[in-house]
This record gives sequence, structure tokens and C-alpha cells, in this order.
Amino acid sequence: MSTTTSPAPSAAAGGTGLTFSGVLRSEWIKFRSLRSTQLLLLFTFVAVVGVGTIAAFLRGTIIHQLMKFGAERPGAVGGHTLTMDQAISAAGAQGINIYGTPIAGLQLGILVLGALAVLLISSEFGTGMIRSTMTAVPKRLPTFLAKAIVLVVVSYVLTLLAAFATFLISIPILHSYGISMSLGLDGVVYSIFMGGVYVAGVALMGLSLGTLIRSSAGGVIVLVALFFLLEIATSLLGLVPGDFWKYVGQYVPSVAGGRMLEIGDKAAFISPLSGGLIFLGWIVLVTVPAVISLKTRDV
Amino acid sequence: MIEAVNLAKHYGSKTAVDGVTFTVRPGMVTGFLGPNGAGKSTTMRMIVGLDKPSAGSVTVNGKPYVKHHDPLHQVGALLDAKAVHTSRSAYNHLLAMAATHNIATSRVNEVIDMTGLAAVAKKKAGGFSLGMGQRLGIASALLGDPQTLILDEPVNGLDPEGVLWVRNLARHLAGQGKTVFLSSHLMSEMSQTADHLIVIGRGRIIADAPIAEILAGSQQAKVRVRTAEATRLGELLSGTGVQVQSNETETLEVTGVDSRRIAQVALENQVLVYELTPLATSLEDAYFDLTKDSVEYHSQELDDAAPAGALEGTLK
Repeated sequence: MSTTTSPAPSAAAGGTGLTFSGVLRSEWIKFRSLRSTQLLLLFTFVAVVGVGTIAAFLRGTIIHQLMKFGAERPGAVGGHTLTMDQAISAAGAQGINIYGTPIAGLQLGILVLGALAVLLISSEFGTGMIRSTMTAVPKRLPTFLAKAIVLVVVSYVLTLLAAFATFLISIPILHSYGISMSLGLDGVVYSIFMGGVYVAGVALMGLSLGTLIRSSAGGVIVLVALFFLLEIATSLLGLVPGDFWKYVGQYVPSVAGGRMLEIGDKAAFISPLSGGLIFLGWIVLVTVPAVISLKTRDV
Repeated sequence: MIEAVNLAKHYGSKTAVDGVTFTVRPGMVTGFLGPNGAGKSTTMRMIVGLDKPSAGSVTVNGKPYVKHHDPLHQVGALLDAKAVHTSRSAYNHLLAMAATHNIATSRVNEVIDMTGLAAVAKKKAGGFSLGMGQRLGIASALLGDPQTLILDEPVNGLDPEGVLWVRNLARHLAGQGKTVFLSSHLMSEMSQTADHLIVIGRGRIIADAPIAEILAGSQQAKVRVRTAEATRLGELLSGTGVQVQSNETETLEVTGVDSRRIAQVALENQVLVYELTPLATSLEDAYFDLTKDSVEYHSQELDDAAPAGALEGTLK
């Protein structure tokens, strides 16, 4: 390799100084310039659409069966056929929502994008990149905000696209079961647009956990614990006699956030709006300490 | 211009930097010299706000670093050659750094050419050798064409050509009136690059002076004399403030009198002198003199039974 012998930094560097739009652009360059990130996004899209497609087949089969043989309800005459609408609401009563088909693969999206969000900052701590970042942006918070914006936009857009793709794929599949899937179906548009909100929220929590814990493995473990293990743990505690634990289970992030995606109120369940607010509470609960930690701790 | 006042950093009960006060002036290269663990890196990290001081304060160009609206134009810092994401290419790393300050892409290409990274700029930084990593670190420090340059151990891992290049770069930038502050634990490096030295040991400043002064002040110059009549000449030279040592036959080491005076005495007394060599104090000697009480990690003296591991820790 060769080196210029006279090291003259001839031209002035130019530039307008530190601006938030600059920091945002910087974070976007960082986000798109990692091969692993590109692959993960592609994988997420394929996985969410894939799981959604399988779900369309499964739900189509179930509703088709209901339409053909009727629901086994007390008082219902066996062998009585149902109309499509009746079959859809009968399946919905058992938690099989036809309108939620476009976002049936969301759990995978949460897992992958949540982990990606943790890594977005924990990998900077791991590699030492954070020291370059914080030297360029010594106030630190603009960097956090810029990362959050990049993550929220990317997760929302990716989930929206995946949900819409799943919707399009599910139309011919459900049609083959005699079910007409359309944007006009109650709750379909809502689920397509709300799925991304949930995933973006999980991504924000991932970013905050990565900022707080600073370790990729630790951050991902806590995220998985919050979104998967906590739900399992509280549903086990629901076996304890008494109502208390049954209700606690509705407040864990995955259940509250999941409620946000459903339409209509269910008996003895928090409303979708309350679910969304509780989920927001969880986000604030990890984001505030993360921001304080980033601002005050040495890097 | 960097001004530190009573700057201190404690980690629990351990004191890394113990209330240092110093000024790094523009237009010259200031060396920051000290043994491993003396507090050099911690001090530099506090200057750019990565570490918060436990006490005291430090300003760059009149303001705390964090208060500047264009930090990369104020200070270029190489604190750690590993401060890059290992999976990102050098080019994209620099592009992301430049974007924060809206620095043009042409400047990114300029620093890549300047640091000789053009051939590897599109490769992942994780695969870089230590020397290439240093070049990338220097490239990001130069991005904003900063008024003040802070380089922590910049020649670490560089090949001889790279060492020469860093030395020229430091001198060139100082010549342009910029503030250049570079740390090293290598005294020989400092003697060839720095105009002014700040020596730190165990978190305290033990010297802050022009290099020439540190050399002169450390101990008096010695002169080696080879003569046919060592004993007689030794007696003739001895007097107040003059020390004469003789370690070999026909050889004297004289302190406190210059070589001209020795030659004169020898001539007047008809003593044959066949060598008269002024022994310059090296910066190494001066450094050991200054830091011998403040070295954090003493290595053991080697003896026959000592295992090879005793070589760890380079300073004695």
C-alpha cells in the first residue's frame, strides 16, 4: 500500500456542523451498510409471509369445515350448515380470526426485528463503534432518537408490506375454501395497518434494552423473556385459584400488545385501546432508563 | 487549545487520573507520555466527553467538547483503533461519520487517499490489520479538518513508513497552527515528533515542559574521556561540582565540566587524550528518571529461575 508523503489536508472539510438530519442520515447509512441487516430484513419478510400463507390454509380449512358441518354448539342441530359470516364469527369466538390472517406471521417478525433492534446498538458497544458515534454526536440523545426513527420506520414499512403481501396471497387460498377475503371484511384493513405499530413498538423496546444492557446476548435474552416467557409464566400462574393471576396475564407486553391488534371487546378482557396504552407503558418503562443510562454512563 | 483544570477520574476506589491541570497549545506538537496505566487514555477520553470527569473540568477551544455545535470540526480524535463496526466497510464507516456533520462525500474520498486506504476502503474493517485500523482511525479523525487533533498511541502497529507518515502529519498540522496532542509510551517516538512534553505517571503530571528542557533538566551532561593517564587526568579535573568515574582502564566519565575544558586541562598538563565524546542524555534516560517512582506495572528482574512469563510488562 502506498501513502502520500506530504500529508496535506488540502481542501477544507466543509460541512455545516452537527444537525439532526445529518445524524439521521448517518444512522440510515449505518443501518443499510451491514449485510447481516439486509439479510435479516429479507428473512423477516419471507418468514412473515410464509407463516401467513400457512395460516391462510389452516384458517380456510377450519372455516370451511364449520360452513359444511356447522359449529358444535349446544342447542345447534348437528350437520346444520352455516353461512360464511356465521362460520367466520364462530371461528372468531374460538380465537381463529380470519381478519388477522395478514398478520398471522407477526410473532416471527417480532422476534427477528426485536433482536435486530437490540443489535443495532449493542453491536456498537460490542465492537467499540459507539466511541466513534459518541465522539461525533457528544450529546448522545440525537443518536438514540435517530436510531429509533430508522427502526420504527423500517419495522412499520416492512410489516405493512409483508401483511399486504400475505393478504394478496390469502385471497386465492381462501377463495378455494369458498371464503371471500377482501379489504371490505371487518378488521382486515385494521390488522394490516396495526401489525406494523406493534412490531415497531417491540423494536423500540429492543433498542432500549440494547442501550441499557449493552450486550447483544443479554439484550436479546431479556427481550425474549419479556415477549415470550412472561406470557407462558403468567398463563401457568393463571392455574392458581382466584382471579388475580388471570388478570395479571393480560398486562404482559405480548398479550397487551396483541390485544391492540384485535377488533372488538371480549368478555373479561381489556379493550384494544387499553391494550395499546399498556403496551405503550411498557415501552416507556424501558426507554426512559435507557435514555438516562446513555446520557450519563461512560462509553 | 485544550485546557484541563484539576481533572480527575475515579473508578470506585481506584484513581485513574488524579487532579491534573495542563494546557495543550496550538501551533506545536504536544506529547503525552507515560507508562501503561498512567491515565493517558482516560484523560483523552474525558477531553472528548466519552468519560465524565469525577472532578475538575476540561475545555477544547474554549468550551467543553459536548457544547460545540460542530464537534468533528473542533476535534479529530483517534482514541481506539477498534472504534469501528467490524462488519462495515471502511468507506461506509467514514461516510456515516461524515453524514452527522453533513461533510461532503468528496472529503471522505480525500481522507481515504490521504491515509493510503484506497485499496481496502470497500473491505470490512474487521479484517484490517492493526496498522490499517490505525490508518482508518486517523482518517476519521481528519474528516472534519479539525482545529485540534488528539491521537492516542497513533503509531501503534504501524510499519516504519506509517510511523514516518504520522510523524510528518503531526508536524505538518502543527505547522498550520493546529493543536496536536499525541500520546505514547515510547519515548524515542516523542523525541522525534513532539515540541512539548507532558509526562504523566499514576494519574499525576510529573513534568510539563519543552522537550529540550526536560532533556537538559534530567541530569547533567557527561563526557567520556579515553586517555593514557586516566588516574592523573582524573585528579587534575576533580573540583567542585565535577564528578569523575572510571569503569574501564584508560576511560573516564566526567560530569560537570564540558569537553573543551577537559581538552584544555589535558593540553596544559601534557596528558595524551585519544577520545573525547560528549554523552547526550537520551529522552529514555530522562523518562526513566521522571517516571521511576510512578510506574504502575513493574516487571520483575529476570533471574535464571524466572519463567518466560516474567517478561510481561515492558517497563522496569
